[in-house]
Parts: sequence; structure tokens; C-alpha cells
Amino acid sequence: MMSQKANLTRRTAMKGLGVSLALPWFESLQPARALAAAATTASPPVRMAFLFVPNGVNVDEWTPERVGYGFDLKSVLEPLATVQDDLLVLTGLTHDKGRANGDGPGDHARSASVFLTGAQPRKTSGAEIRSGISVDQLAAQQIGRATKFPSIELGCEQGRGAGNCDSGYSCAYSSNISWTSETTPVGKEVNPRLAFERLFAAGTSQQMDQSQQRRRALQKSILDFVAEDARQLQNKLGHRDQRKLDEYLTGVREVELRIDRFSQHRESGSRFGLDVPEEIPEKYAEHLKLMCDIMVLAFQTDTTRVATFMMANAGSNRSYREIDVPDGHHDLSHHGGNAEKLDKIRRINRFHTMQLAYLLEKLKSIPEGDGTLLDHSMILYGSGLGDGNRHNHDNLPILLAGRGGGTIDPGRHVVYDQDTPLCNLFLSMLDRAGAPAEYIGDSTGRLAGLKL
Amino acid sequence: MRRRRLFSLMLITALVAPPLLCADEAEHAPASTPYLTQLRPFLVQHCVDCHGGDEPVGGFTFDRYEDSAHIQTDFEFWEKVYRVLHEGSMPPADVPQPSEATMLSALAAIQQELAAYDCGVDPHPGRVTLRRLNRTEYNNTIRDLIGIEFRPADDFPSDDVGEGFDNIGDVLSLPPILFEKYLAAAETVVEKAHAEGRPPLAQVKADTPEEGIAIYSRNLREFMARAFRRPVTDEELQRVLAIAELAFEEGVAEDDHLKIPMHAVLVSPHFLFRVERDPDPDDEDGVRALDDYELASRLSYFLWSSMPDQELFDLAAAGKLKDPETLKAQAARMLADPRSRALIDNFAGQWLQLRDLAHLQPDADLFPGFDDDLRAAMRRETELLFECVIHEDRSVLDLLSADFTYVNSRLANHYGVTGVTGDEFQRVDLPSQRRGLLTHASILLLTSNPTRTSPVKRGKWILENILGEPPPPPPPGVPELEESGQLLGSLRERMEEHRRNESCAVCHRRMDALGFGLENFDAIGAWREQDGRFSIDPSGTLPGGVNFRSPNELVQILVEQKQAEFVRCLTRKLLVYALGRGLSSQDRCSLDTIEEQLAAGGFRFHALIDAIVTSDPFVLRESQKGR
Repeated sequence: MMSQKANLTRRTAMKGLGVSLALPWFESLQPARALAAAATTASPPVRMAFLFVPNGVNVDEWTPERVGYGFDLKSVLEPLATVQDDLLVLTGLTHDKGRANGDGPGDHARSASVFLTGAQPRKTSGAEIRSGISVDQLAAQQIGRATKFPSIELGCEQGRGAGNCDSGYSCAYSSNISWTSETTPVGKEVNPRLAFERLFAAGTSQQMDQSQQRRRALQKSILDFVAEDARQLQNKLGHRDQRKLDEYLTGVREVELRIDRFSQHRESGSRFGLDVPEEIPEKYAEHLKLMCDIMVLAFQTDTTRVATFMMANAGSNRSYREIDVPDGHHDLSHHGGNAEKLDKIRRINRFHTMQLAYLLEKLKSIPEGDGTLLDHSMILYGSGLGDGNRHNHDNLPILLAGRGGGTIDPGRHVVYDQDTPLCNLFLSMLDRAGAPAEYIGDSTGRLAGLKL
Repeated sequence: MRRRRLFSLMLITALVAPPLLCADEAEHAPASTPYLTQLRPFLVQHCVDCHGGDEPVGGFTFDRYEDSAHIQTDFEFWEKVYRVLHEGSMPPADVPQPSEATMLSALAAIQQELAAYDCGVDPHPGRVTLRRLNRTEYNNTIRDLIGIEFRPADDFPSDDVGEGFDNIGDVLSLPPILFEKYLAAAETVVEKAHAEGRPPLAQVKADTPEEGIAIYSRNLREFMARAFRRPVTDEELQRVLAIAELAFEEGVAEDDHLKIPMHAVLVSPHFLFRVERDPDPDDEDGVRALDDYELASRLSYFLWSSMPDQELFDLAAAGKLKDPETLKAQAARMLADPRSRALIDNFAGQWLQLRDLAHLQPDADLFPGFDDDLRAAMRRETELLFECVIHEDRSVLDLLSADFTYVNSRLANHYGVTGVTGDEFQRVDLPSQRRGLLTHASILLLTSNPTRTSPVKRGKWILENILGEPPPPPPPGVPELEESGQLLGSLRERMEEHRRNESCAVCHRRMDALGFGLENFDAIGAWREQDGRFSIDPSGTLPGGVNFRSPNELVQILVEQKQAEFVRCLTRKLLVYALGRGLSSQDRCSLDTIEEQLAAGGFRFHALIDAIVTSDPFVLRESQKGR
């Protein structure tokens, strides 16, 4: 009780600090950032995003013939022509832990759960789901404290609401790519309005009237209370139950940190030309575009530096009517070499890379420091399957866009030895983001060839 | 006592231990078990060539039975072995077949091994991992706790599905973003309740401050008890009161010190999680009976997807809910309550995958008559049949065989049923071509591709959801059979061409026969005699040689000959849903008991519910073994 009161004085001091706009990173130096001694250099921070597409690609229409600078753009990569110089096409990377390795079928579920973790998911449809910590979350745990949100997780499709997702794997594996611990998938926001409101604007229900300012100050006492509840409860429960309460306590801690550091700090999206979006748009392209806008804005305002985006869930059978492909994507991906189906797959793949082009062009249009926002980013794009028909986990279609703050020399097609772990790329990315790790998943070292 | 049990278990393991493929080592054990004398020679001769080694066909291997037959612990595997042998789908037709006598003796051996398990010896009710409320449960609980119709959880991230359902404790994780949403939702709920003039904690009118505090404390305790679904301790009450005091000292507005404690209660783990205390460590059996309040929550979240009502709380307070007869009476009362609609939305919606209907997009050029009204009517029809089985306490077999259904004018037109007008649903006799839910447009649509029917999907759906025998997925690198359509001819001719490939045919014989039996229904479930220029041939032969000539006959065969499989499948699914966990081999005794009681009750739906709510896994809790 005493400590609650003592805390309160500090909290009270926060009252009356009104609303302030979010400022681009260079216009506002937040106290928290100043504390992070390592980040006192003048150069902008490095941002990372990871974009996932399901069901593999039409490999023949993806992989360039030529290696190095000036590589050729096949049909699927053609929409990226305007940003070709900002792009690395990385061929030959593999997720060995996406393979069955004795676990039998379920390549689609594995392709998503392994995508950013490099870990063999435990085959279970319910009890004790387990994967590994994903690369974005490893980064968030190290560099996330400097921003209001350690990371954001976006998607376009909710997890499937019924049935089996893939051959004895829980749907948790196929609808998540971010894992904050080996047992906790992060969950993603698919509604643009909700994603936007969380990051940038308080919704109508949360208008900051005076009484709410006070409540914000009291929120910490509530958090103290529920955290104590959870800790007391933990002592009485078994191991698996305790893990659930760990998740709960992590949530409490995240919010506490945010109140400590950022409660005086609110952002407005409209300042950057983005108003509160509507709910999920009818058109898929529009939906993807909105989510990309939100990601760009989050990077631009330094609201977060780490993002993941599942453009669709693993094994998605979405119909692509907007481009006159009414068939289901997953059905089509089992093309069996059929030319008509392969062409439809090519068109779907191209539809996705067009959205990627939109994202990259937008990042590139925003000046930052002595370059652009894209220059200070690393945007990874790819699928956890190579060819949807073969369900292979080697030779994955992987792109890396941006210059990572001058640590990457893009504009090239790089071919790696057979079975080079994709996780090696993750290690190299973590280095560049200032969040180095010893290993991730099945990594064997850093990936060469990103910088000449 | 316990020690002896363990010893006898070890003995059983030793008896069935000889490795399958290393005959030399078998000498240690007495060669007297049915496994050794009859089953093992059979497996070696007829099975392990394909189902062993590095690349076992269908991923189905006997190699893992190196150390013992594990017939007891892997009973599901062996039940499946029994089924495929029994129905004649194994060994495949292109390999030498066992004699009938050999086959019968192998089957008998499996039966004997399975029957050897003594359910009375070692009860294992299992344990459910601490479950947070899922989105539906959160919405319903807020509705029943606060009394406002408001769905804040619709904005939460979707709940992941495991075991086919979104209420599985192990799969319901709580990422940081969800905690944020809980905080915001609690705030919004409390604001909304006040705005609508129905605050759960009202301003207290009292003559003295002491009296005021006393009344306020009493109100708060009552609210907390309902929110936590159990009585609260004095310490818990004091801690929430302290928050109210703090709010007061902060000088918050008039009724804010009423809101803050509610806000705290609504984000407490005791509200968000369904807490069940573990058995005491010194309890030798590691099993305890759930207390009355825990039972009340189990009942209410099973049948209503919401918190217990006052009657359940009263019975719990009186200590009466443990009585099996009371449990059954309460279940009956709850099924009659409108809140049991949740069982249809959430159980039937997920078991039959009706929830998927919302996302399906039949090709608009091929099916111009399809729109959202028809989609909604399809879903409603199946829900109403399920509702009818619940409310009229009919046999669960009626789900498969009902000769009546519910349609509005839109769906009636789709079915060619005359005399139905308006949007209201009414009960009608089905035309002779349709029987039960397998011929509902909802099921037929959700097992089709956007452009055409998929006999494979239909067959697979029936195997998974009606017969409980999901086929293995195709091996990697093999295109889905019907997808590489270079061949000419009707869909059936093209597929039968492919079924000549024996490695595919093993599974497809079963799937396709079922699916082709429903080919008279197009991709949105309308009746047809022609597919393009080809006539539909709805006849077929199920594995085991049973012939049918029409969808109706197929349904009839399923009802008559696959009754046991259907009942077991439904029982398993409903038990998973009721418990919020997957089943393990240790649940088989409970499953057997439930099925016996269901059969004794004439397969009535209430008999199934009664059997589940009084079963060991539902009323007991086991401590966690090891890690």
C-alpha cells in the first residue's frame, strides 16, 4: 500500500502533461531514447519488417537467370522494377526445420511456424504447442524498449475458426509467424482501424477527457493489483498453468513499461496524411495497402522498429477475384505442372509483389537523415515453401529490400550453396539492427554476401 | 497399493515387449499373448513391407513398436489398424491377401489386446490447462455479468484453434496485445455500463461513512464473486477496496472510484482465466473432485459459453452440484435456456465447420443465384436441425437421417420445395433425394471448390467429421488427384483413371466413393442430374463391398452400418469441446462409458450430455505428472 502511494506521486506528476504529437525520430528525442546510450549517434535507427506469403511461388517466374548486379526480372518480380536497386534476391536459402524430419505431413503449417523461428514445431493439434522465438521478437526484446511498441504484428486473415488447419498441427502454427517465446505465438491485428487506433490515435471510446487522464495515472495501481493476483495464483498451479500466467504477466509488464515511458506521448496519424481507416475493406488489395500504410507510418514516427506482416495465412485458399483468378490459392498451388494453373499462380504471386512494390516505394519516398526511410530499413519478403506443388522447404523465395542503414549493398541476385540456413540471414539482420544473437533456430553462422 | 499398480503395469509392458522385426530377442518373453501368437506373424507377413522402414506408405508405420506392441498406450493407432483390416481396405487389392481365417484371428488378437485394459485399475481423468476466456466466452460473460449487450471481444485477435475448437486451454495463449485489449475493453465496458445507467456497483446512500463503506464493501464482494465465479476471500476484497481508496484520494470524479475497482476486477486473472486448483501434492492418487463452483463454471461454459447463473451459484453455495442427478437436472434446464444457443454456434459451428461458410466465394459466373441471403439460409438450416435435436431431445442419429428440415422461401426454392413463402424458417418434409445434414446445402458448399464440386473434399469431410477416421494427406510431390485434369471425360472417369495408381487409391477409394455418392448435388448444394454434358452416376461401392445407388442409399448405409463410428466421432468431438483439451489414450475408458450410456439412452442428445457432465474427466482433475 505504501509503495503504491509513493509511486502515485510520480504518476501524479505525469498528469496534466497533455497530448503531444508523435514526431518523426529526428524531431523528438525522447528521454527514454537518450537513456539508451548506444543509440546516441545521429544516424537514424534501423527498422526491420518481415512479410510472409503462403503456398510457395511459381519458381520459374520468380528466380532470375543472371546473378549479381543487373539481374533480370521475371514476371513475378517485374512489379519491383522501380525498386530493383534496393533489392536483394536471395536464392538457395533453406528452412530445414520446415521439413517433416520424422513428423509426417503438415508442410503448410510448418512453413509458417518455421518462417521466422527456424525451429521444428512440435506436432500437436492442441496439447503443448511449441515452436521457437522468432527473429522479430528477438530483435524486439533488445531494441524494442526504445519505442512505444517493441514490435507490431499485422495480418490480413484471422486464424481459421474451425476444423483442422494442417495434418495434425494446431491452427496456431499456420496463422502466426511471430513467437514471443517458444510457447506463445504473438497474435496479429487484421483490422486496419484497430491497428491504427492502437498505434496512433485513441478511438472515440477512449477520448482523452479529464477523468481518463486520471485513470491513466491510476492504471498502474490496477496493474500492480492484477500482477499480484497472478503471482499469488501461480504458486497454486501446475507447470503448464504457470506458463499461461507468465504470458499474462508479460502483458502486464509491457503495458507498465509503456505507461512509464510514453504516457505523455501520443501520436496522430493525420499529421502524416493517414486518417483512421475503416474496418476491413472489401478489396484485398486495399486491405494490404492499408496495412502497409500503417507499417510505414509506424516506422516513420518511430512508434516501432520491428514489424511482421502475414499477407495471408499458411495454406490460405483465398480466391483472387480481383485479378480474375476465382480458384482457391491453395487448390491452385497443387498445380501438378498444369500450365494454366501455373499461370494463375504466377498472377497471384505477382499480385503480392505489386503490394510489396507499393510498400517499398512508399518507404523510399520518405526522406530521412541523409537518405530515405527505405535506406534505414531491412524488409524481408518471402514464403516458407518453395514450390507449392512440391512442398519443398529448400530454395525458398526470399527478397531483402533496403540498405539496413548502409550495411547492405542491394541491387543484386545472390545465389547461396544448397541448404544454406535462412536463419543465417536472420543472424546477419539482427547484427545490423543492433540486436545481435548467438544463434537462432538452426543457424550455423552469419550470411555472407549482403555487403560487398 | 499404488506401487502394486505400477508393478503390474510394468509387467504388462514386458509381456508385449518383443520387437517386431527382431525375432531373436523375442525369446525372453513368454510367447503367450495374442499379440505374439497371432498378430505379430500377421503384421510381418502382410503389413511391414509397406508400413515400415524409411518411407512407410502413408506415414503409417509399425516400426515404432520396436520395444513393445504398445497396444494399450497407442490404442487409437491399433483401433485404426483394426478398422482398416476389418473393412477390407488393407492389405490393398494388388498384394497377396490373407486367408479369411488368418484375418479373423488377427482381428480377434487386436480385440483381445484392447479389451485387456482394466478401466477400474487406474483412473485418469486428465487435467485441463488453465483456460482463458475465448472471444465468445468473454463477450457472453460480460453480457451476463454486467447486463449489457456489447461485444468488446470482437476486436480481440482471433483465438487459435486446436483439436478443431477455439476453446482449448493449451492453445489459448495470451500475447501482450491481448492484455492491452483486455485493459481497454474493461474500461469501455465500465463506461458503457455507467452510460446506460446500469452500473454493477451503484453509488451508496448511507447515513454514516461507516455504513456507507459497509454497504459498498458488500456490493463489491458480490460483484467480485460473480466475476470470479466463486466466493472471494477477505484479503482479495481488501486489496480491491484499497484501489477504490486510492482512486478516492486521487480525487477522481464522483463515480470514478466506483469504476476503478470494477476495471481492476475485469482484468484480474481470476476473471480472465477459468481457474481450477490442482490436487494437493500430498494426495497420493493425484486426483481430486472439482468443487461445486468449478463444476458450475464447467457446466456453464460447456452449455452456454458463459458464466454460471444465479441458480448454479446457489446450488454451488449449498454444496449440491456434485450430486450427479443435480448435474443432469441442471444440464437439462440449461439446454432449455436460450443461452444454449451457444452450443450450436460454437460446438456445431466448429464441428461441422459452419463457421467457414462466411468465407466461401462460389464463382459468381457459374452460380449467379448464390448470394449472402442464401449463404445465411444454408447455415441457419443446419443450425436449426441441430437445435431441434437438442430441444426435442431426439436421437443424435437424426442428424444424419432426418427426413425433414428447416427452410425459408429462399432455401426452399434452392431445394425445389414448394409452398414456402417469406424469410421465416419452417419445418418441411425433405424431397426424397435428401436426408440429414450430409445433404444440406451448407455442408455441400463448404466441401466444394469455388468452381465445381470436389468429391475428394466431400469424402474427406465425412471421414473426418462424421466417421472420425481422417485420411492421411497426400504425400508431398503428388498433385491432388483431380487437379491434373489432362484427361478427357467426366470428373468421375478422370478420377477413376487416377485411382489406378495404387499408392493413391488406398485412401482415395474410401474418400471418393463417399464423395461421388453426393455428386447429384452441385457446388452450392442444388440437385442436378447432369454435370455439363455428362450424366451424374451417383452409385458406388464402399470399402468392404457395400453398394449404393443414390445419395439416399449412401446416407442409409452410413446410418445403419457406420452408426458406431459416427457415435464415437460425435462423442469425442463433444467431449473435447466440453473439456477444452485434446483426448489421450487414457480417456478411452471414459469414452466407452459415455457411449454405453448414450446407447442405453436410445442415442438421445440429452443422454449424451448427461453422460459427459457426469464423466470422470468432467468432474475430476488430475495433477500434472512430471514437467
